[in-house]
Amino acid sequence: MSTPSAPPTQEKPGPNGPSRVPWLEKLLGNGFKLPANPEEIKKEVINSQVWRSVFRGGAWKNTPRDRAAHIIGNVWLHLHPVRVRLRSLKFVYSWGMGGISFWLYLLLTISGILLMFYYRPTPEMAFRDMKDLEFAISYGWFWRNLHRWCAHAMVVTVILHMIRVFLTGSYKTPREFNWVLGVTLLTLTLFLSFTGYLLPWDQLALWAVTVGTNMAGATPLLGNEGPFSSLLGMRINNDIRFGLLGGTAVGEATLIRFYVLHCVFVPVVAGAMLMLHFWRVRKDSFSAAPYAPDEEKFETWPHLISREYVAAALVTVGVIVWSLLINAPLEEAANPTVTPNPSKAPWYFLGLQELLVYFDPWIAGVLLPNIIIVGLAAIPYIDSNPKGVGYYSFKERPFANWMFLFGCALWFILIAIGTYFRGPSWGWYWPWEDWAVHKPPPPSTWSIPNLAGGPLVGLYFALGMALPRLVRKELEWRLAVPTVGILSVAAGLSLKIIHTLLVGKVAFFAKNIPHFGAGAFMLIALFLFVVVFFGFLLPQRYIRNLALPKYAMTMVLVLMMLGVLLKMGARLGFNVKYVFSIPQVNFNI
Amino acid sequence: MPKIIRQLFIIGNVLLLLSFAAATVRDNRREWKKYQKKFFVLEAKELEEKIAQEQDPKIKESLRPQLIAKKKIRYEIRQMIVKDLNRIDRCVTCHLGMDPLSNPSLTTNFTENPYKGHPGDFLKTHSPTKYGCTICHQGQGLATETAAAHGRVKHWEEPILEPPFLQASCVRCHANFESISYAQAARAGKEFFRHNGCYGCHAIKGWGGVVSEDLGEVASKPLARLDFSSSGLARKDWNIKNWILLHLTKDPMSFVPGDPEGHLGQPIPPSGMPPFYLDFKKDEANAIASYLLSMHGEKMPHEYYVYAPAAPDPALDSAVARGKHVYEKYGCAGCHGVEAKEGRRNFNALGQGQDAAAPDQIAEMAKGREPTLPDTVGTFTRDELKLKIQNGVPSNNIVKFKADGPTPPLYMPAWKEKIKGQELEDLVTYLLSIAKKGEEW
Amino acid sequence: MVETPATAPKIEESPDLLSRRGFMQLAWGALAAFLGGVAANSLRFLFPNVVYEPSQKFNAGPAVDYPLGVSLKWMREQRVWVVRREQGLYALWGRCTHLGCTPSWFGGEDRFKCPCHGSNFSPQGDVIAGPAPKPLWHCKIELASNGDLIIDKAVLENRPGFRENAPYFVDTQGA
Repeated sequence: MSTPSAPPTQEKPGPNGPSRVPWLEKLLGNGFKLPANPEEIKKEVINSQVWRSVFRGGAWKNTPRDRAAHIIGNVWLHLHPVRVRLRSLKFVYSWGMGGISFWLYLLLTISGILLMFYYRPTPEMAFRDMKDLEFAISYGWFWRNLHRWCAHAMVVTVILHMIRVFLTGSYKTPREFNWVLGVTLLTLTLFLSFTGYLLPWDQLALWAVTVGTNMAGATPLLGNEGPFSSLLGMRINNDIRFGLLGGTAVGEATLIRFYVLHCVFVPVVAGAMLMLHFWRVRKDSFSAAPYAPDEEKFETWPHLISREYVAAALVTVGVIVWSLLINAPLEEAANPTVTPNPSKAPWYFLGLQELLVYFDPWIAGVLLPNIIIVGLAAIPYIDSNPKGVGYYSFKERPFANWMFLFGCALWFILIAIGTYFRGPSWGWYWPWEDWAVHKPPPPSTWSIPNLAGGPLVGLYFALGMALPRLVRKELEWRLAVPTVGILSVAAGLSLKIIHTLLVGKVAFFAKNIPHFGAGAFMLIALFLFVVVFFGFLLPQRYIRNLALPKYAMTMVLVLMMLGVLLKMGARLGFNVKYVFSIPQVNFNI
Repeated sequence: MPKIIRQLFIIGNVLLLLSFAAATVRDNRREWKKYQKKFFVLEAKELEEKIAQEQDPKIKESLRPQLIAKKKIRYEIRQMIVKDLNRIDRCVTCHLGMDPLSNPSLTTNFTENPYKGHPGDFLKTHSPTKYGCTICHQGQGLATETAAAHGRVKHWEEPILEPPFLQASCVRCHANFESISYAQAARAGKEFFRHNGCYGCHAIKGWGGVVSEDLGEVASKPLARLDFSSSGLARKDWNIKNWILLHLTKDPMSFVPGDPEGHLGQPIPPSGMPPFYLDFKKDEANAIASYLLSMHGEKMPHEYYVYAPAAPDPALDSAVARGKHVYEKYGCAGCHGVEAKEGRRNFNALGQGQDAAAPDQIAEMAKGREPTLPDTVGTFTRDELKLKIQNGVPSNNIVKFKADGPTPPLYMPAWKEKIKGQELEDLVTYLLSIAKKGEEW
Repeated sequence: MVETPATAPKIEESPDLLSRRGFMQLAWGALAAFLGGVAANSLRFLFPNVVYEPSQKFNAGPAVDYPLGVSLKWMREQRVWVVRREQGLYALWGRCTHLGCTPSWFGGEDRFKCPCHGSNFSPQGDVIAGPAPKPLWHCKIELASNGDLIIDKAVLENRPGFRENAPYFVDTQGA
């Protein structure tokens, strides 16, 4: 600390006149004066050697220098700059999501450490300890509820933070790598939450983790059910899932494994990444918000710190109230011989579980999530639009924003379907329907023959890649969008007419698509419109002039995203199992 | 600093304190404290009355410190650690009158739960410190709230057992339960089970027929495997006791309706269990349930079991009487009726009075019957009958009423491994003795 | 925050609680109370309401089963000697007051001897020899209405004059 220390005041006589207890001061001698009032006591304390050795800088005089020193000289605060610009201070700019995520991480650490005092990670004890937390331990329910709800909240805030950073273009040069770190932290957050999900050792935990980890078994080469795994001699007791679970099924070994991952390994890794993340934020001038001449600057202490505090306090109130109102779930004790119906993964993985309906496990459970993660991490490197850094702007980056929000919406729609619309045997149940009511079994699926499906897929990708670049003319937007809409409806209608004409005559229709109702018609019209809008109109308008490698990478990601949507439509509306299938190499789409 | 931040600072801090205070209040207002307090108040009142009535001033004075001690309420969760059974029972947290440490006599003068003592003298022979409570009563021993402790909550599959079903707990250890005066309903239940031929389809731990499920561990069957959706029961009543009772008090066809018309693909018959509910009074159904609820999968330490010698077959001197005994012993009555009077329902088997043109085909299919023996055995020779019993009638050999309807669920298993030798001879003798005369060709 | 920005004009403050300053004091007070509460709550959390060790209180069976002298019946399970004398019964906790070893009973010498540092105790628990600073502890002992002895090792007494009375002594002569 560079502030020069004020001279000690012992020798100076008290400012307030005569001594208060003469005999005592005489006894102590040496001209000692007792402090005259609280103010003076405070001064004495602050100027004492002990205080000064702990808190540098002497009395707080609230000068700009003091306030700056408060940030620089404090190990907990020094990642902040001394002064911040108004634009980065604005709540509606950052929504405080990064800070709130970190605060939830801290709350989770505190509550997690407390829970560790009671929790024993063995099948015999874990469930009983949950019951003890609920029924016998003072505030046990409180810390468990808080931990559970903070974990869910953190998943949400981390995702919202990512969306915010995207929408403000804050991942662009020089912050590309910090975005990659952020994507890694998001993955770690999900993994942290997922490993903790097992620990209560009830039916919910056991089966959610069983469902969640089964995807690992579908990893190409390394999982026993994945493609090419026979090349490496993968069995259920030597593949990657076996390594993750410490056994062939979720059991005793998995519990201790997940416990260590949850309490030590992942938090430490995530903590290290967080430091890097924050350090980068600080080094990259704290906020991406663009500079303006004569911009007003505010001191971090108190302006930013107070906002951070307020956000943390209100979030804490939120999770406490949540914990008061709703108890963390605890079902029957884990029983590996009884599978509840349905068995659902934790909500943030239900999008993936829903994708497993439409694609083979290694595609839905391994390939797609990896493409999503890698695709997210690649965004700063393929987005070459220099505009829109540090502020929300649809005008300057319409393509990026539309695509990203569309992807997020698709993801959350999948999660919503998995959470609210899926019942026993993963049947489709509306949220208001009783799960006890039996649904008829799903209709049999059929596959498009490869001779038709192969060209169809090829055409989709070829046209999708080429068309936006080939149409060189600037399309009149106001005309093009309604036209596409009308064409989509027309296509749906003509398919309906073809179906009506042929359903009685061609056995194929009678067998595979006996019904073509209003639902299927609307599905076709809507999906066609969405696919043409996002797959042709947007790229044609905004990225047709991009350098070829970046254009190609972007379009591959876009077409794959839309392909997922198309496959969903084909399955939900027309029971199509595969469009193209090479079972020999496990390639079925 | 903007005003809004200052205001949020104030509001946030106040809300922090308030929400935290609410958590503190919630944690301290545990339900069991209410019962402990009431118990001590009741005890103090009792002692006060005793002091008031006491004549001897010396004794009066000696009772005072006790009263003071009673009035000093120290709230604590009380539990019994049952090592052998790996259970922790906290029932005595509220049921203080049954806490063996604070009230070793286990009796109180209070008549109301949870303050009263334990009725009967069961605990003299079943020390609660050794056995705990839930091994007999079920419920959730770890819980300290009424609904959860009594197991009447979601995700607890063994709610507290009420009489007479509580008798099932005697049967779990006592093979000699038929001689225990408290377990008479369970004894009657076992007898009904035998008399009505339940063994014919349902084995118990391997002993009995193979047509339906072995009931040897039925009491611990997970709820996830039971489908109550057509039972009409409220969700809170979905438990194994009610599942068993449903089978005895309602037509099983009504809550296991199957899909006889094949809406979902293959036609699936409804539950094959005949409508026994027509024959059972309520207490008979309860008796059978009391017996079956003892069929639990949880193993006890072997020294807990009280063994009883197997009852020998009665010594009967006439072949017909012996044959009748064999008929009951192997549960032939389950399909062919008590004393072979009338064959029971077998869905979509050929029966009498079925009308292929009737509008309600399900009702017509339900008129399908197992053979009524006095009508049919007469058409067999002694050796043919023996062969029939030994080889049974597989389900695909049963004549259907509706050819495209479901396969009838009940069939005659091959009994050759079970009924043989003298038993088979006696059974055939008995059957031929009941054949209707005058129908022989 | 209490610190106002240097540029802000100083506002005349009234001592009223609803004034700006009063509100700030309220906010800081609430924060302090919250943090204190959380600390207290966490500390309370660490004191379990139930333990999975044998109860400190146990039922030692009917009092009439104990003959005159020192009974070793509960020594192994509960570390307690039940002693019957002419006047009544008491329970001694088998833990040497020197360093916590378990003394052994030597009936022939009528004393307890600690194997660790040679402390000797009389059957009343008083130190006869050796380094032990205090007499052995007497446990709380009660006669239940059905004649069983209930011993509580969590409530102890070793002062002469106190330990000979209820609840550390069961008088069987008066009864």
